[in-house]
Amino acid sequence: MDETLAPKQTGGIFYRVGLFFKPVPLLGYLIGFLVCVLWEQLAGEGLSSLLGLPKMPILFGLLTIFKVLAGIVNFLIKGDAFHWARLVEIPMALVYLTVIYLVPLALVARAAVKPANAMARYLQKFPLIITALVQLGLMYAVLHVWAEVSDYRLIFLKLTLIAVLFTLSLNIINGYMGEFSCSHPGFMAIGAYMSSLFTVGLFASDKVLGDAVFNFSAAYLTFPLALIFGGLMASLCALIIAIPSFKTRGDYLAIISLAFLFIVKSFFENMQALGGSRGISGQPDWATLPVIFITMAFGIWTINNFVTSTMGKALNAVRDDESAAEAMTVDTRKTKMAAFLFGAFWAGVSGGLLAHVLRYVNPAMFSVQKLAEVLAMVYFGGLNSVYGSIVGAVSISLLGEALRPLEIFKWIVIPLLLILVMIYRPTGLIAFKEFNARQVFGPKEVD
Amino acid sequence: MRKFSSGLLLSLVAVIAFTFVAVDAGAADTIKIGFNIPLTGDNPDVGASSKNAAEMYLKKNPKVTVGGKTYALKFFYDDNEYKAESAVKVSTKLITEEGVLGIIGPQSSSQAVPAGEVANNYATPMISPWSTNPNTTLNRPYVFRGCFLDPFQGPVIANFATDELGAKKAAVLYDIAADYPKGLAEFFKEAFEKIHGAGSVVAFESFTTGDKDFSAQMTNIMMTGADVLFVPQYYSEVPLIVRAAKEMGWTKPILGSDSWGGGDLMGLCGDDCKGYYFSTHYAAAGAKGATKTFIDEYTAAYGKTPDDVAALTWDSLGLMVQAIKDTGKLSGDIKADRTKVKDALASIKNFPGITGNMTFTPEGDPKKCAVVVKINDAGKFEFFKSVCPK
Amino acid sequence: MTVNFLMQNLINALQWGSFYALIALGYSMVYSILMLFNFAHGDIFMVGAYIGLGVSLGLLSLFGSGAAAVLPGWVVLVLTILISMFLTAFVGIIVERVGYRPLREAPRASAAITGLMIGIILETANILFLGGSRLKFPQLIESVTYNIGGVYVTNKKIMIVLVSIGLMLALHQLITRTKWGMAMRAMAYDYVVVPLVGVPMNTIAAMTFAIGSALAAAAGILFGLAYPVLDPYMGVSFGWKAFVAAILGGRGSIMGACIAGFMLGFIEIMTVPAIQIMNRLFSLNIGSNFRDLIAYSIVLLILIFRPHGLFGQAYSAKLRL
Repeated sequence: MDETLAPKQTGGIFYRVGLFFKPVPLLGYLIGFLVCVLWEQLAGEGLSSLLGLPKMPILFGLLTIFKVLAGIVNFLIKGDAFHWARLVEIPMALVYLTVIYLVPLALVARAAVKPANAMARYLQKFPLIITALVQLGLMYAVLHVWAEVSDYRLIFLKLTLIAVLFTLSLNIINGYMGEFSCSHPGFMAIGAYMSSLFTVGLFASDKVLGDAVFNFSAAYLTFPLALIFGGLMASLCALIIAIPSFKTRGDYLAIISLAFLFIVKSFFENMQALGGSRGISGQPDWATLPVIFITMAFGIWTINNFVTSTMGKALNAVRDDESAAEAMTVDTRKTKMAAFLFGAFWAGVSGGLLAHVLRYVNPAMFSVQKLAEVLAMVYFGGLNSVYGSIVGAVSISLLGEALRPLEIFKWIVIPLLLILVMIYRPTGLIAFKEFNARQVFGPKEVD
Repeated sequence: MRKFSSGLLLSLVAVIAFTFVAVDAGAADTIKIGFNIPLTGDNPDVGASSKNAAEMYLKKNPKVTVGGKTYALKFFYDDNEYKAESAVKVSTKLITEEGVLGIIGPQSSSQAVPAGEVANNYATPMISPWSTNPNTTLNRPYVFRGCFLDPFQGPVIANFATDELGAKKAAVLYDIAADYPKGLAEFFKEAFEKIHGAGSVVAFESFTTGDKDFSAQMTNIMMTGADVLFVPQYYSEVPLIVRAAKEMGWTKPILGSDSWGGGDLMGLCGDDCKGYYFSTHYAAAGAKGATKTFIDEYTAAYGKTPDDVAALTWDSLGLMVQAIKDTGKLSGDIKADRTKVKDALASIKNFPGITGNMTFTPEGDPKKCAVVVKINDAGKFEFFKSVCPK
Repeated sequence: MTVNFLMQNLINALQWGSFYALIALGYSMVYSILMLFNFAHGDIFMVGAYIGLGVSLGLLSLFGSGAAAVLPGWVVLVLTILISMFLTAFVGIIVERVGYRPLREAPRASAAITGLMIGIILETANILFLGGSRLKFPQLIESVTYNIGGVYVTNKKIMIVLVSIGLMLALHQLITRTKWGMAMRAMAYDYVVVPLVGVPMNTIAAMTFAIGSALAAAAGILFGLAYPVLDPYMGVSFGWKAFVAAILGGRGSIMGACIAGFMLGFIEIMTVPAIQIMNRLFSLNIGSNFRDLIAYSIVLLILIFRPHGLFGQAYSAKLRL
């Protein structure tokens, strides 16, 4: 991936592959993916039974491969029976991946270069928002069709999209502003609880929060309000960290935020009115895939606008040298305040979505474990970059799911991988890369 | 453009080839049961015990006969990392991907409540062996549990403290951040105050999961002059609490709940815990019949006495298999079969489990007896009293 | 009665604080020299406790236990502490070599992530080798409870506090009186220039990790004596809280870390009696469960009013995370 983004002069295989796909615009890939997922719906079942796979590979064949590997590991360590014939599933899963995804994607994306570029150029005549909407619509179509195959994919996709939004909201503070904030699970908890309070308290009958106050069929239309309410409450609580950040930075702010996390968790554990350690369950099932996708897309759009605005540049200035920034008339207080409130808002929104996907929330979900997880996503993907957060959240979620059959060894493999990434790319996979919407959605000109 | 058209042609050929090769995916003569258990995460021993019990069950009963046809049992163990999110993912995966007939687990309420929602939505029978939160089974016809609930166990202990120990004032020390101790502590308080009047629970002290130091709470409990201390905590915390109590000069009885029987309490606590009482599912010392066989075989296979997680998992599995047998005949249509199994589970009467005879209430909670055991001087859990629900 | 009550809690707080202090020292030492936080430190504490468990069981089987003991319990204890400190020091050195040395030039946050990940690997390795169940730490010395005017004190509590203070004093001597200590202080003063005058950076860094880990091991064994149930995750919350203590003390200040460690222990323990006294005085009904909430609110307030910790220096661009 890295090589394709930064072509070297040596002319290796990656360089040539990169060159081959260079003129493909996003639209081309989207069309390619759409063909892939439709193709999978059509032929996936048949192909997998033809290849002798027990089930249609659900996560690009990764899960199938790791299941076999886990069988081997258990055989080596515990002496569990292992059918060596299952080894054949590994190449078969790869064949599946190639036939269903790689080949059609490559062919269609490459073949559709001209029409896709023409289309993108045509779309560019309209305001950016139209281009973006068309392509996002296409992206949603891809995800929708992909998730239609199995509900396991759907739940995986929902949680991954939420993780993307959550990671990105932390990247504002840890990446763009260069602080080391540990409070994000706390913001997420506040958002999750407050939006649950809104929906469960008003529209659902619950043991803890009493009967529904309102009862009308279009109640789900108020879900955005619930999310915004959750986000705003998280923002409000972020003041507790934002105000000390005027005077203190770095490690001291890190433990202020850590103390904040402990406080929030302890607060929800003790609030009997909010269910205490038992939490709140029975949230209405409103966090559907389109809702999550729209929220995430909107979140990425506003966050990207924020970090590319003057305010965002001021953030980077504060990160690199606060006194110099101050001297250059940057209002550091306003900048820090804005970053914290904004980051907390989106963390709160993602918390609200999480609570409504799981339809359950309890304080134990927002422990230091969650913190380690989201920090890993941010730093693995890359600081100061929207791409980085997307890549980090998606790859860690995918790894976490694909390596699940390895059971305990998963927790050796994932940390080792992260250590290696940190050693060879200390700022993460795709760091400091600006996300220019016009460029991303626009045509690729071949030179 | 030539490449494009040849690719298109190839794809078309492939489409035609694959869509006609429709193979029956599921092997018809296996029954699949999924396990949603914490093999990693904060409590790996809970997952290990569940898996041990399940593997032992499979070794003993590899085949099930339903309506004259013999099926091979197949178990799928999936790790929920002791996280709510993962439990939801795992349940969805077991139901939609592995196509299991029923699910055992998750064990803890914080995972069983959200995973129960999934199981109920997909109309798949699920038995949580260990979850005590009422919400796990509330309004969920497809979700059952294997253990008795706090509203039953709390009064059992409160009555025991009153009748057998003659306690007038009680103190409680519990973990506020964990679901199970908190619920039980509250029901004990309610029951005890019903007998002795408001304020008879003179100390209601709490701590947070992971705390190791209980000296501050014990100092306060000592001050109140309680006759008995109730500690509804897990086996890993009990030794520390008992020690803190002894170091503060506590000489009166300490009572526990079924969680004391999880894991290796005596190995961790040693002499400190001898002479105390707790309510549980069965008394290991002097067990008879199937219970004794289970304990002996488990001890022989894994080198440790089974904890309550293992015993309850064993029973939940037994219930599930019994229900599958009771359906009379499996149609092969997994969705219809799941509903049949659920109906069979709901109508099971007096299932002879190793943790007592079980009958499900309409809510999906079992009606079963509790026993109070005493930790005798040999460090064995000795039968003291049995209490059955009315 | 109230005096007894306070005294009792004060003694408990001293014991609890000494664990925080010993662990916070490790954080603070690494910090002062390498400008990074060793987030694996909490798990090194866990490893130290388990090594202590292995060593003490080995010694007990070698010299016999109970009535058949060849050596008195306290000798076994001292040997256990010394051997485990020595062995755990190597764990620290390996962690530094694998997780931190390659990242010395990298942003500090990246090193924090490797620390977290090494911590997870240590926990997982423990579960892999020993299984998930809790283990009991052997009681090397007989526990005796003294009743001093209604205040209950055990010999172990006294010993734990004394041993920790002794270790801190020893560390102080090492840092102020020896050549290596001087090198460490010099490195803490300026880690860019000092290596140029011939102080070996890698040796000093490894040594710092070794000393910090040895102290963590001592804390682990004392912890095992006081709270004899070991589990693979015992270092996680302890590590984060000791991290709070290390920073509360002031960045890189050894004395600050000690004092802040005791202070954090004091705040955490004393919150409970404080709530109870408040409840009695004003007939309120606040539960002791608010302990974490109140304790960390106090920490937060301290940091708001003393933004650089108790003994720390002000922020400078060089020290950025």
